Amino acid sequence: MVVLVAPFFVAFALFFLAPIGYAIYQSFFKLTSSGLGLTEPVLEFAGLGNYVTALSQEAFVASIGRVLVFSLIEVPTMVVCALGLALLLDSARARFQPFFRVSFFLPYGVPGVIASLLWGFLYVPQTSPLIDVLAAMGLPHDFLGPDTILLSIANISTWQFAGYNMLVLIAGLQAIPRELYEAARVDGASELRIAWHVKIPLVRAPLILITVFTLIGTLQLVVEPLILKPLTTAINSDYTPNLAAYNQAFGQADVHLASAEATLIAIMAFVISFGFLRLVNRKGNRAW
Amino acid sequence: MGPKIPRAARLVAAVVAMGLAAACGGGSSAPAGTAASGDPAQPVTLTFWSWVPDIQKAVDAFNTAHPGIKVKLETITPGPDGGYAKMLAAVKAGNAPDVAQVGYDSLPSFLVNGALQDVTQYAKDDAAKFVDWQWQTGVFGDKVYAIPQASGPMGFYYRKDLFTKWGLEAPKTWDDFAAAAATIRKKDKSAYISTFAANQAPWMISLAQQAGQQWFRTEGDAWKVTIDNPDTRKMAAYWQKMLDDKLVKTEADMSNAWYKDLQTGSIVGWIGGSWGDAIIRGNAPGTSGKWAVAPMPQWAGAAQFTSASWGGGSASAILKGTKNPGPATDFAVWLNSAPESVNTLLSAGYGWPSVKDTSQITNLQKDDTVFPFYGGQNIWEVFKQADAAVATDWRWPPVSDALYSSLTDNAKAAVQGDGTLTDAFAKTQQAMVDQLKAKGLNVVTGG
Amino acid sequence: MVNRWRPATVVVMALLLAAAVYFLLPVVWVLVAATKSTADLFGTFGLWSPHPQLGANLGRLFGDGLFGRWILNSFLYAGAGALAATVLSAGAGYAMAKFPFRGREALFNLVLAGVLVPSTVLALPTYLIFSQAGLTGSFWSVLLPSVVSPFGVYLARIHANAAIPDALLESARLDGAGEYRIFFSIGLKIMSPALVTIFLFQFIGIWNNYFLPLVMLSDQNLYPVTLGLALWNSQTFRNPAYFELTVTGAAVSALLLVITMASLQRFWRAGLTAGSVKG
Repeated sequence: MVVLVAPFFVAFALFFLAPIGYAIYQSFFKLTSSGLGLTEPVLEFAGLGNYVTALSQEAFVASIGRVLVFSLIEVPTMVVCALGLALLLDSARARFQPFFRVSFFLPYGVPGVIASLLWGFLYVPQTSPLIDVLAAMGLPHDFLGPDTILLSIANISTWQFAGYNMLVLIAGLQAIPRELYEAARVDGASELRIAWHVKIPLVRAPLILITVFTLIGTLQLVVEPLILKPLTTAINSDYTPNLAAYNQAFGQADVHLASAEATLIAIMAFVISFGFLRLVNRKGNRAW
Repeated sequence: MGPKIPRAARLVAAVVAMGLAAACGGGSSAPAGTAASGDPAQPVTLTFWSWVPDIQKAVDAFNTAHPGIKVKLETITPGPDGGYAKMLAAVKAGNAPDVAQVGYDSLPSFLVNGALQDVTQYAKDDAAKFVDWQWQTGVFGDKVYAIPQASGPMGFYYRKDLFTKWGLEAPKTWDDFAAAAATIRKKDKSAYISTFAANQAPWMISLAQQAGQQWFRTEGDAWKVTIDNPDTRKMAAYWQKMLDDKLVKTEADMSNAWYKDLQTGSIVGWIGGSWGDAIIRGNAPGTSGKWAVAPMPQWAGAAQFTSASWGGGSASAILKGTKNPGPATDFAVWLNSAPESVNTLLSAGYGWPSVKDTSQITNLQKDDTVFPFYGGQNIWEVFKQADAAVATDWRWPPVSDALYSSLTDNAKAAVQGDGTLTDAFAKTQQAMVDQLKAKGLNVVTGG
Repeated sequence: MVNRWRPATVVVMALLLAAAVYFLLPVVWVLVAATKSTADLFGTFGLWSPHPQLGANLGRLFGDGLFGRWILNSFLYAGAGALAATVLSAGAGYAMAKFPFRGREALFNLVLAGVLVPSTVLALPTYLIFSQAGLTGSFWSVLLPSVVSPFGVYLARIHANAAIPDALLESARLDGAGEYRIFFSIGLKIMSPALVTIFLFQFIGIWNNYFLPLVMLSDQNLYPVTLGLALWNSQTFRNPAYFELTVTGAAVSALLLVITMASLQRFWRAGLTAGSVKG
């Protein structure tokens, strides 16, 4: 048994826990210079100083609020899209299933950096065929304004991951014994009723799974705003907590403050996702 | 699992042991003896980190000319995109390259992080080869840490054909620029003279640099921060008026939208660095022959012609931890001053050479790929004059990354109507004072 | 199955088709863009290429061999990393499902919590730890951290719980089979569909990874394709000709991954369906 478990946990400890521990350790220190800063800086114990600094930055606190709003938009959108696509594909009416399945899943294989670059082209009036069409139809088409940019980011995430989440749900749906539907059909239930009363309750577990993963993903949002930032005035360098941490680490080379911010993000993700799990588990006892 | 994987196990053991050691702080490597010039039989090997396209050719030329030193080029992502963080981490971990590409604006940050090697004893005789203001960017407290490579002196790229059609000339002063902007709006309702690039901190800084009073200087053992000064306020108010009157676009430069607008003539001018020539030529080949370059417009009443350099420029810095500071310095000096190297780098679009004597740089005298695009104009004359007119008293602070993000964030807010540009510079001033203090540095402020 | 298309079928198909257009549009865009020059990229309608020059772009892309090398590296990192991750996850998931031991739930929760820490910032501490072992800049520095897949352990455990009956293990034990034999001959076999899923998801995860190779690698010859494309993209700042390379490279790498996924479709479908037999 130990031989089975040990390799994973050794690797997990080395490549996951050790860096996390090191990051937390670093978050309690800071580099301090003196005078003009021409001499080498001194590493000082800072206690919770970096945490205080992070939380007293208005922009960082605002960015936490922003990702919470983003989660409220993106999580329901994602779950509804993934579930809708899964039910459509699973319905007895769907043809050409393999084609659609691959088409929907395909964006998952496009790296986040490249997905954001692609959508970047589609969001800018000068290069977007999409905007040409929308404008011709008299529809709103400002994707990069301060009021719409969050939705545009949500669109990129949905595009990338809806197909993947759909597959998780389809797996759940296909595990349902076919006799259950047949029985319902014989009783004269419509496809819609079957979907609502039979299928959805039976994929509760995978639904919770994709909700939690989407939730964690939205709280860690970084690549999309990072790539879209040069295209718009609506995204600043502290747009999301993770972007702020990225900028501290990679832009300003302050690994200590960056580590503190990353720890705060992890704590936030922990509280919210476990809070959500507790909530649905309690609800689960009352049937769904 | 299989019974055992010896190789992986060894690596794992090493990581465990070293990982524990790492928690006690980065190791520091002892300085080794130096060999000023290499021995061909046992060549010194140097590692060089850069992101400049095609710099390999210059490195190859160096290796051919110097059998005693072998330089290995490693291409990394640009400094602001993670390259600098990687260099600083490598210095901390004791495995940094000997020489690295570092922007003038980031050299002070590197110094404050203890990442630069003092090479005064090897480089003190090389100062005369380089333009003075560029050489000084690598010198702190009489010690030399970096060899300048290139700058980005500013000029005004404009569509000469359209200017002529509208009866305009290249603006000589900023008042002319505003008047031309208004005329263009009247003549063609889809055209603008330029964009105000709130996304581009180095660009806004170069506007301030040209306006007069500088932003940072040292007073005793304290940094004096004067971003919110009368000259910068004058510049900010000017552009705020341009924005209010809708005489300039507000889209980001070097973005998809901007590239397209340059092609279609929706934007007919750009105040840009000398290396911007490659961008305009590469993006809008269909407009060949229609462009020209004029000097940067001047402020009324300026005593002498002044220009600025986009984000300063870029240097070859010798990093702390190198075992061969002598050969590393030799390489950095050769790379940035030997005519065959400078010629190669120039055509790769790396910027305006830092060498004082450009008579040996043949590509500057006549360039058959560049000049025809500008209707035969020798645009390098404009930039040569500009580089000579860059303020020499400009100092970069040890927090230029924070300066860039703060200024960009504040200017973007102003462009969106949240406050004015003048407010944006005042807010940036406050942010920089806080940032320097947070690092433990001494700060004084003033107007 | 009915052969006639009833109204409901038409509605379902219309919705599916609309969704397909949405998911494929950016992909079509990048394929069209891959045939353009930099000038046309910004100057012409996005879904039409008036002066196609795919051959020239591909020629430049593969010209110096660097791009081909990056593609190979990506396949190597993703293939080897995903394979190792699958094996490790299978062992850990199986053991955690079938052997009650002290602290099992705590360990499992720790694994799940590992997903919560943003990888963007973990890259730098990982670099510092690895450089103490002299591993940075090497092939191993990217490969080793990729063999850990907390999600894989989760899937393997769930699947082993659901699909491997305890009675089967008991009877194998009664027949005198050792635990390792049981794992290899029974456990792995029954879990194989789930393992395919773990492999593929980890494969894509490694393929898409950006921050870890960014800090670990400095030798271009070891770059994976994501990092290489990001490098080219950053060089457009000085030389717009790199736009052609970046966009064509993105199209080629996306296409390769899609072909890989599509050709393995049979396996991952089987994996997903069988993977949730009893949910």
